[in-house]
Amino acid sequence: MAAAGAGKAATATATAVVAGAAVKPLFSQDLGEAKRRVRELYRAWYREVPNAVQLYQLDITVKRGRDKVREMFMKNAHVTDPRVIDILVIKGKMELQETTRVWKQRTHIMRFFHETETPRPKDFLSKFYVGHDP
Amino acid sequence: MAGALKKTTGLMGLAVAEKPHEHLRILYTKILTALQDIPKDAAYRKYTEQIVNERFNMVKTEPNVQKLEDKMKSGQIEEVIIQAESELSLARKMAQWKPWEPLVEEPPTDQWRWPI
Amino acid sequence: MLAAALGLARAGLRAAARPAVLLQARFEGSSTTETRPTVRPKDEVAQNQLYAFGEYVAEILPKYIQQVQVTCFNELEIFIHPDGVVPILTFLRDHTNAQFKSLADLTAIDVPTRQYRFEIVYNLLSLRFNSRIRVKTYTDELTPVDSVVSVHQAANWYEREVWDMYGVFFANHPDLRRILTDYGFEGHPFRKDFPLSGYVEVRYDDEVKRVVAEPVELAQEFRKFDLNSPWETFPAYRTAPETLKLEAGDKKGDTK
Repeated sequence: MAAAGAGKAATATATAVVAGAAVKPLFSQDLGEAKRRVRELYRAWYREVPNAVQLYQLDITVKRGRDKVREMFMKNAHVTDPRVIDILVIKGKMELQETTRVWKQRTHIMRFFHETETPRPKDFLSKFYVGHDP
Repeated sequence: MAGALKKTTGLMGLAVAEKPHEHLRILYTKILTALQDIPKDAAYRKYTEQIVNERFNMVKTEPNVQKLEDKMKSGQIEEVIIQAESELSLARKMAQWKPWEPLVEEPPTDQWRWPI
Repeated sequence: MLAAALGLARAGLRAAARPAVLLQARFEGSSTTETRPTVRPKDEVAQNQLYAFGEYVAEILPKYIQQVQVTCFNELEIFIHPDGVVPILTFLRDHTNAQFKSLADLTAIDVPTRQYRFEIVYNLLSLRFNSRIRVKTYTDELTPVDSVVSVHQAANWYEREVWDMYGVFFANHPDLRRILTDYGFEGHPFRKDFPLSGYVEVRYDDEVKRVVAEPVELAQEFRKFDLNSPWETFPAYRTAPETLKLEAGDKKGDTK
């Protein structure tokens, strides 16, 4: 699953460079090819989910895992630069490799689900109750 | 010490060469042939031909291995053979890369300015 | 002292007159006398030798070399176009007059203000001629650089490290994946836009019985330190330290 923060930062500079001159493509020559790579990666993840749930003995259903995969892909749906998409696909592939070869542990997989995080206080009064948050 | 008496080079993985003169002669001829593919005014061809011819002449004129090593001032004769081998592979690659052409692209302004 | 010589302009200056043997002289080190104890003695011999070698390389490979310079610490630096990484490192490794067989280090620098923000630095060592050379090239987040693993095996892990820390993609690398950060880590820590505190913090949670990562929450505001070094690292480029501006809160204290 791709690093959303890095993707955003990269898009900003990419547009600046694209406007200047012809750029060296990463893998994909055009958007269609990049999208094909994304679909391939999505299929691989889709197939991997039941396997991962079994391997890591996760307390989630396969449905929930696939929904999470979909959510992570849709997080970067706004990206249109083929080079940025390529970088995100590369990172997704590395992540998939780490998952299938069980280099990760359960904690790394479950980090995608943000189970223990409490929402940060937004308004003044709840910030005041929490106390230390500036 | 003559070549026949030499037991080891003292370097790991580097065996004593049986017939260094013949080996070098073949290699230098191959390098000079490979350099034919490069234009005459290319600096790489000029300098490499100079080095190779210089060493080739030493190989031709000096039959004693020990004296040849002293003349070349480039380590033992086995190391000289390795240098010639890598020069040969480089000469062949250079013909494809064509590095004597003008600069591909100027750097962006301020790319190499330091400190910022 | 930090003199720059444009490779193209200098090419062919001393081409005919210089014998190839000159460059082969193994540098053993010599120095003129320098009486001031805090000033590094200038080594003319070594410097001229580096100049000569820099011109030699720039003359042979004008296609890729953009600039050659010798720093005040007698280090030869070659600035190249990113397309020429493999040809130049192969040349420096295989040429009889160079023989930079050892890749001592490979790293990157992040300068966000430049168009190509990353500088990739290759430090090479020639055991035969007892000399070092530094090759620099540039890239940005999305431009791939050719991997030099085919030239120097040592580059494998260094390139993985640069990928992990800076996010520079190396094309044709045999095994490009993370090397230092934890699995599932997002972002590239050595980029200048990566916060010093990071994005997540890790703790053991007793309820779910595993280590969890949560967004970092600082109990205390981040402290600012005065980072002016007391040592003179670049005397030629020293600027006067900025006068410290008093905050609004401090002024109040003064008037009391």
